[in-house]
Amino acid sequence: MQTWKWLYDPAAAFNWRFIFSVAIRVVILFVIVNVVFALVDPLPALGSISAYNHLFRGRERLPYGENAAVSYNLSLNQIDAMFESHVVASRKDDDEFRVVLIGDSAVWGVLLEPDDTLAGQINRLDYHTADGQTVQAYNLGYPIWSLTKDLLLLDYALDYDPDLVVWLFTLGSFGQAAQMRSPLVQHNPDPVEDLIKRFDVNQDPNDPRFVRLSFWDKLFIRRRRDLADLMRLQLYGVPWAVTGIDQEYPDYEPRLIDLPADDTWEDYTPQTLTTDDLALDVIRAGVDLVGDTPIVLINEPMFLSDGENSDIRYNSFFPRWAYDEYRRLLDDYSARYGWFYLDLWDGIPEADCYTDSAVHLTPECSARLGKLVGAAIVELADQAGRQDND
Amino acid sequence: MTLTHIIVFVAAALLYMTLLPQHWRKWALFIGSVLAIFWLQPPVRIDKFDFVFPVGTLALVTLAWLASRDAEQQWTREDVVSVAVMAACIVLVSLGRYLQEDFRITPSRPPALPQVAVMLISVLIVLALVDRLPVGRKRLLLPVALLILALFVILKTEALAEEASRWLRDMMGQPTHLARASELQWLGFSYVAFRLIHTLRDRQTGRLPVLSLRDYVTYAIFFPAFTSGPIDRAERFLKDLQALPGLDPARLTQGGMRIVIGIGKKWVIADALAYMALNDVKAEQATSTAGLWLLLYVYAFQLYFDFSGYSDIAIGIGQLFGIKLPENFSQPYLKRNIAAFWQSWHITLSQWVRFYVFSPLSRFLLTRKRKPSPTFLALVCQVTTMIVIGLWHGVTWTFVAWGLWHGFGLFIHKVYSDRTRPFYIGLRARPRLMRAIGIAGTVVTFHFVLLGWVWFALADIETSWDVFLRLFGMG
Amino acid sequence: MDRNDVKGKLRAFVLAELIRNPNYNLQDDEPLITGGLIDSFSLAHFGVFVEETFDIYIPDPDLTVDNLDTLDQMIDRIMQGAAS
Repeated sequence: MQTWKWLYDPAAAFNWRFIFSVAIRVVILFVIVNVVFALVDPLPALGSISAYNHLFRGRERLPYGENAAVSYNLSLNQIDAMFESHVVASRKDDDEFRVVLIGDSAVWGVLLEPDDTLAGQINRLDYHTADGQTVQAYNLGYPIWSLTKDLLLLDYALDYDPDLVVWLFTLGSFGQAAQMRSPLVQHNPDPVEDLIKRFDVNQDPNDPRFVRLSFWDKLFIRRRRDLADLMRLQLYGVPWAVTGIDQEYPDYEPRLIDLPADDTWEDYTPQTLTTDDLALDVIRAGVDLVGDTPIVLINEPMFLSDGENSDIRYNSFFPRWAYDEYRRLLDDYSARYGWFYLDLWDGIPEADCYTDSAVHLTPECSARLGKLVGAAIVELADQAGRQDND
Repeated sequence: MTLTHIIVFVAAALLYMTLLPQHWRKWALFIGSVLAIFWLQPPVRIDKFDFVFPVGTLALVTLAWLASRDAEQQWTREDVVSVAVMAACIVLVSLGRYLQEDFRITPSRPPALPQVAVMLISVLIVLALVDRLPVGRKRLLLPVALLILALFVILKTEALAEEASRWLRDMMGQPTHLARASELQWLGFSYVAFRLIHTLRDRQTGRLPVLSLRDYVTYAIFFPAFTSGPIDRAERFLKDLQALPGLDPARLTQGGMRIVIGIGKKWVIADALAYMALNDVKAEQATSTAGLWLLLYVYAFQLYFDFSGYSDIAIGIGQLFGIKLPENFSQPYLKRNIAAFWQSWHITLSQWVRFYVFSPLSRFLLTRKRKPSPTFLALVCQVTTMIVIGLWHGVTWTFVAWGLWHGFGLFIHKVYSDRTRPFYIGLRARPRLMRAIGIAGTVVTFHFVLLGWVWFALADIETSWDVFLRLFGMG
Repeated sequence: MDRNDVKGKLRAFVLAELIRNPNYNLQDDEPLITGGLIDSFSLAHFGVFVEETFDIYIPDPDLTVDNLDTLDQMIDRIMQGAAS
């Protein structure tokens, strides 16, 4: 536009001195910007600047997605920015009873529209606590099985003043090998290390899969990608707000009914699992982390196959022996620590309730789970309320 | 053009400025442009056609040169050398076949040398035959223009392009059921075609200066303007070509700044806006009227920043090489009426259509025995002109609708301004009122253009109509 | 061709056909189009008028506001056409 005319078409002619001085200044500025950027590391601060919940509505689940052009959503590793884009970052109403849901892709809601996810279904049912507060559930689930990833997100979620926490999981999240698989865990070594140390979790804080940035990695030019992610997260907010779409809904292959004759889980063959084999200490850390805030722990429902080899496996994910061991250990553990624990593993038994995987529900069955979980929320909320009053 | 293209062009410009002596510069632009059109051409799924299209461009341009020569113009040594240079460039590019992918400039492996030889020789024979046709050169102008127009219509009409693609696939022994109209991506064709038609028509009216083959080809395919314009005029281009300057700090900074501004507009602003701009999918998904308006506003600015940024880059690169390409945009969204908008949006295209459609058509109608009324004349000419501009973007009903929208807009403006002329002349004494009316005019004009984009942006007329209704809370 | 003769005919045409006000006191260097007296449609009229009156063909690309904004410019263009 012509307002830039002074720059490219000024009254006085350019000469070599001018070019030289501009070039020098550009170089100096470039170096300064990079060094200051590396020293200050402003990405978390930048991540907390968000147009979501201000210029347009917040997202109803954490940003996640591979095909951004279609889903208006993307995966990134900057948790501050992720939470700030979420509706949980909006102001809490006075009569709101804030419930945050932590968990895996089943909680996040693969193939479900935001209203049909577990959190959406609970909100639809319009629960109230005994003292008249409205239960408002927030979907803070995030795909990829890893309790450590859940713990990390729970840690951030506590900044948003929840009145109650619901943590859903299945065996897949408990494997020791699964803990470091989440890119979110790998790219956030500092808060994860802090959690490991604070709660004495049985994990290696020096795991080589942690991505730790050197000074050079923190230079502005090296972090273009992260900056672009922040930018894109904001930009995709507009189509999200206008269309209400935040994931791709492709045609999918239904979960397997006929299963392979394979009885291994992770690297284990049938044996007696111990608490060291499963990351039960991460659940314990989570319960400690929330402190006085009530927390509901839920073993999530899954598809129980009756096809080929279903005597060996419950479904494509888990062999029967491992899953049975897991339930037994979890039962013992929760009884020992007095957790509010719900085992819903066969709570939704119908085969056609499950879509592309043995833990992803259809909207109708998600609604049924909503009733089960909603009832538990109200129950625990009232229990906690009575204790407060006592 | 991608950022890589731009960086290479700028680097080439620096070498050109600092190292090349004056008499080599024209040759450098010529050879550079010939090579660049192979490099800029995107991949085409029909076998070898990303090589054939640039060759086709060169053949077509040479043919148009033959036809558009002045009656007295003879072959010169320079013209012969130019033919040889083009042939040599084509062979050189085709040798990329024997190089690693990283070192060839075509997007896919070029045809083998014998095939290239056959292609070249047949093109040369056809051109030689045309050159020797025992008819006056002026008789060639119309057929060549019609040939270009026919190609244009085929490429821009989906059904025809798909049929042509099927035919080409069949010829190349590729599965015909995969034929798509979109795969006939002949880069730069629409711009080159309009440049050539301009020279043919200007020869007819005796207005075209004498151009050597080298200068003519350089004009038609000048690489900064090859992919997306501007559409320069031959006589203006020739003037610059005859006085190509060397190293000049002012030109270097001005051109450089212009490129930087263009990159900022296109790759920062437009690409950011693209995330939230109206398209078919989002139009269908939008859940609220306000949301739909937002998508449309964003689209309007995305389109402007994308295209005007691109023009800035072309103009900037041209400037580095000493060619001052014409401006294509001049704050179009701030104009006070639709006529002024069209004098500042894609200026070189609307000028072209003004010279070669609007003006001849009005003159034709004015010389009829029964002179049309001024109102009727305005209606016919405006609407026809704008439909032509619409069809230039593609032969579809949506572009016709867009053309009609603007044609009627211009017509209504014309009727209005005829009636209010004394009022506006009287307004000069009251600058504040004039300013206020001007601002209102800008707002109305912008929204008229904005609603016009509904036809332009979407793939079919039903979607456009549906969006149009929804924007006003209906449908 | 005589410049004054051309001027007389052209002036009469511009006042009667384009401005449509024979009594308007038009200056020779007064901008017609950029001044808002006529619109650019009139350029085609002008082209036809010159062709019919003086038998001079002005190519369409020359019918521009820049070239033909004033009476003087119009006369210059006609004289140029007569000379070639």
